[in-house]
Amino acid sequence: MPPGNEFAAEQLKNQGNTHFKNGDYEQAEALYSQAIQKNSKNPLLFTNRANARLKLEKWEGVINDCLASIELMTENMKAYFYLAQAQIAINHPNEALSSALRAYDLCVNSSQQTSNAATISALVTRCKKAKWDIRERERVRRRQGLLAELEASLETQYKKDVDDIEARLESGEIGRVEATEEKQERKTEFEQKRDDVRTAFAISDPENLEIREVPDYLIDGITFEIMNDPVVTKNGRSYERATIIEHLKRSATDPLTREPLSINDLRPNIALKEACAEFMEKNKGWVYDCEDGEVDSDPRWAHLSCARKDYERT
Amino acid sequence: MFASKRLSKELIKLQDKLPPGIALVKADDFREWLMDIRVMDDNPLYSGQTYRLKFTFTQSYPIEAPEVVFVRDESHPIPMHPHIYSNGIICLDLLDRTGWSPVHNVESVCVSLQSMLTSNTKNERPPGDEAFVRNNTQRPRDISFVFHDNSV
Repeated sequence: MPPGNEFAAEQLKNQGNTHFKNGDYEQAEALYSQAIQKNSKNPLLFTNRANARLKLEKWEGVINDCLASIELMTENMKAYFYLAQAQIAINHPNEALSSALRAYDLCVNSSQQTSNAATISALVTRCKKAKWDIRERERVRRRQGLLAELEASLETQYKKDVDDIEARLESGEIGRVEATEEKQERKTEFEQKRDDVRTAFAISDPENLEIREVPDYLIDGITFEIMNDPVVTKNGRSYERATIIEHLKRSATDPLTREPLSINDLRPNIALKEACAEFMEKNKGWVYDCEDGEVDSDPRWAHLSCARKDYERT
Repeated sequence: MFASKRLSKELIKLQDKLPPGIALVKADDFREWLMDIRVMDDNPLYSGQTYRLKFTFTQSYPIEAPEVVFVRDESHPIPMHPHIYSNGIICLDLLDRTGWSPVHNVESVCVSLQSMLTSNTKNERPPGDEAFVRNNTQRPRDISFVFHDNSV
């Protein structure tokens, strides 16, 4: 590499960062690309461009950048984090889950124990849910031919609508904002129709309407959600790692006893983790169906019991 | 980050079952809730009255404490108590930045306030109430209270 290129790359990266901050992701991507031409050995340039491409929904580009970055630096939390998001977007939940778990491991094992843990933990849950969704769809398809057919045709129509929007965006007929809005509209419409069909089927199949609850001992006392990575405190209580760390950063005390407690005092609770995993596996996806905070119903019938989503939007 | 998820779960529980003397009045969003509390024994200071509490949550609830104050209207007075200022601001360690713990919740705060009233026998306001009410412009959570005594 000719001398001075490293410096030039750094300058370009900083310009890219400024554009990124201002929400001009196309310009940011272009500048990061120029930076990479100057210096292709800096893994951070690739993760920065991956992040810009995530915003632009250029999934393949994100994946290539993340892989390039990981090749240059293996302990690369950001790259795995972006990679998982792109993989989930292109509907590869198995790969997404393993990337997300890798990011999570790197995050909790890093010396900083940053607040990223909570964000990454949420991504892990999303990947698990996506993975479950695919399996569940298969199961439903096998069991209920007619419902499956109806759902499939709704989905085909929806995908076609999205492709049309993409095409119009590509040809410059509509802008990005408009395209995103239209896609969201189509998505809502599709989900509504799918829910209606499912409702009709659910009513004729009352066994599936049974309400199930997560036992309290699997629930994190801070978020009230089932735990993914429980850790135990000195007094024997367990919490989700990401949330107890958030608390300890503000106040280094045990939430129950108020005795001094530091992040280093936390120990993984492996048996409880396995119990949580087993429970989720047995009860399949309904526990995961909680992007909006509910954990109490089967995803297929969730819409029957949760008008609460409205709260989220206010 | 956690607030809406956690509050939606608390809300489900609150709508299902509440301890005697505590009622959910309004929870239309995840920013501000209203709760009513009554003192259940025949403490003459509070008998026959219903008090209204306003909870204000930040995005970081329950890692961060909610802001909790009594609100006054025609049918809801501010209860008389040596830790409650006449403008509704409450001086209670568990609502304080350092006394709060994320395992508390809306219900447990209501229960604590209810028992704080139940056990009180003094018909008085905190020392310096008048001056505090006249001069205070801070949000309750930014005030650092000096806890005069912990017996009440």
